[in-house]
Amino acid sequence: MAGRILRNEPHGEIFYRLEVSVPGPVEFTPGQFAMVSGWPGNDPLLPRPLAIFHSRSAPKGKCAVEFVFKVVGRGTALLSGMHPGEPLSLTLPLGRGFDLKKGGRLYWLVGGGVGFSTVFPAAAALAWQKAEFEMFLGSRTRRQLPPKELTPAGPAPGRVHLCTEDGTAGYFGRVTDAVRERMASLSADAASRLTILACGPREMLKELALAAADRGAEMQASLENHMACGFGVCWGCVVALRDGEGTAYRRVCKEGPVFDAREVVW
Amino acid sequence: MVKPDLSVSLGPLRVKNPVMSASGTFGYGLEYAPFYDISRLGAVVVKGLSLSPTAGNPPGRIVETSSGMLNAIGLQNIGVERFVADVVPRLEDAGAAYVANIYGKTPEEYEAVARRLSEVPSLAAIEVNASCPNVKEGGMAFGSTPEGIARLTARVRQATGKPLWVKLSPNVADIGMIAAAAADAGADAVSLINTIVGMAVDHRTRRPKLSNVTGGLSGPAIKPVALRMVHEVCRRVSIPVIGIGGIQTAADALEFLLVGASAVQVGTANFRNPRACVEILEGIEAFLREERIAGISDYRGTLSR
Repeated sequence: MAGRILRNEPHGEIFYRLEVSVPGPVEFTPGQFAMVSGWPGNDPLLPRPLAIFHSRSAPKGKCAVEFVFKVVGRGTALLSGMHPGEPLSLTLPLGRGFDLKKGGRLYWLVGGGVGFSTVFPAAAALAWQKAEFEMFLGSRTRRQLPPKELTPAGPAPGRVHLCTEDGTAGYFGRVTDAVRERMASLSADAASRLTILACGPREMLKELALAAADRGAEMQASLENHMACGFGVCWGCVVALRDGEGTAYRRVCKEGPVFDAREVVW
Repeated sequence: MVKPDLSVSLGPLRVKNPVMSASGTFGYGLEYAPFYDISRLGAVVVKGLSLSPTAGNPPGRIVETSSGMLNAIGLQNIGVERFVADVVPRLEDAGAAYVANIYGKTPEEYEAVARRLSEVPSLAAIEVNASCPNVKEGGMAFGSTPEGIARLTARVRQATGKPLWVKLSPNVADIGMIAAAAADAGADAVSLINTIVGMAVDHRTRRPKLSNVTGGLSGPAIKPVALRMVHEVCRRVSIPVIGIGGIQTAADALEFLLVGASAVQVGTANFRNPRACVEILEGIEAFLREERIAGISDYRGTLSR
């Protein structure tokens, strides 16, 4: 669909918040994404996958979607330089998001780096459901933590665990270590009720998956990969998943991006 | 003004317009149904089918390059039986004209897939992939010499009464000779070009970016090469030529028709814009109206020098 930029501004040191007006309301499941392009010309050729951060529907067609992204290459660099009023092309919502339907679960949301932009919508949904949850947010350094103004209300103070690898804010160490330490304090019963929802670097997801498996907890991991189309036709974004005795290649854009961590061949 | 006549003849097959999807970029067609009515296309050419399901190459399958992309998917597909059982009825329901692209590890496999598909009445044509650069058995072994292509074409020809297209590789010394060999062996049309073999490496990690090391280059970057080869083949053979390679816009498609192609296939453009095929179709029609040209056949092959 055709969109138009309402705002596109830096937040904190490395993140951009992009708000785009769209013709109609966009309903999405947290964890779903959009393919976004709009820069002129053929280079870069392909749209960029961005997690849907927020969607707003309003009367008189004033609907909008929001994305929070980090500049990682030429495509996102071009996107970060675009201005309000400029047109964007969007294909959305795509992929399979988090499953938040199960009752009686204790949720831990883990975001590494820009991964928070995928788990925050899940936090908003869980807050609305009055579900029990905590958040673990990790980055290299204080200035790269999620900007405060983007952090959803919901979890009580003390239930948001900030972690920095250089110790400049919150827990001094990796977010995975913070999760492991807190997990060790859980009763067996609480661990069996735990579902981790995570998005971040693959190493982080792998370590969390091992930790979750150790305690019999569930985990839904949001993976990323290079993709050409985003809607299941190019078969470029596959990852290996367990399939019976062997493995099978599944598309991050279609069967994912959220997978049961136990099925992923880490 | 009357509606321009968009229909074209591809040997024994008449299609309602010259815009088709290129194999490997359109899934099995149904994936595009949420975006538009796929029966509007001249034909839907589905992802390459083999006798048995194929897993494809390990990840590290695509890389974006300047105005293009490299892929090494490795022909992952559901196999011909599942295609016939699960996909064909839904393509029929959608009212789409569809073409099956086929490949095999051996000439016998090509033949077996072609025989199986010949039993499907609604199938419009078979396109033989004699040109996949990403798997050893993807047809390049047969498709890179005139003798190889002649043997493969003849073999599939005697296995099917369906219109038979042969999809050619640009990774050859003389594509005109290859096309002529396919035509002489009984092909009803040739389609070209498949992707151009390329490579991308990371200068820091010192590793190739594709697990397969090399991949097939597609997108706007290859259009001039494709156009030159289509032009050359159109002058060499008398069977219809289907132009493929980097088509992003109606103007791109018209350029291929101008140098003599009877129809075009749109590939990588479908990835960046799921409505690409139908927008190109609308653009061609608008152009013919604007220029007051009665039909495709009045425009095709009219390049002057």
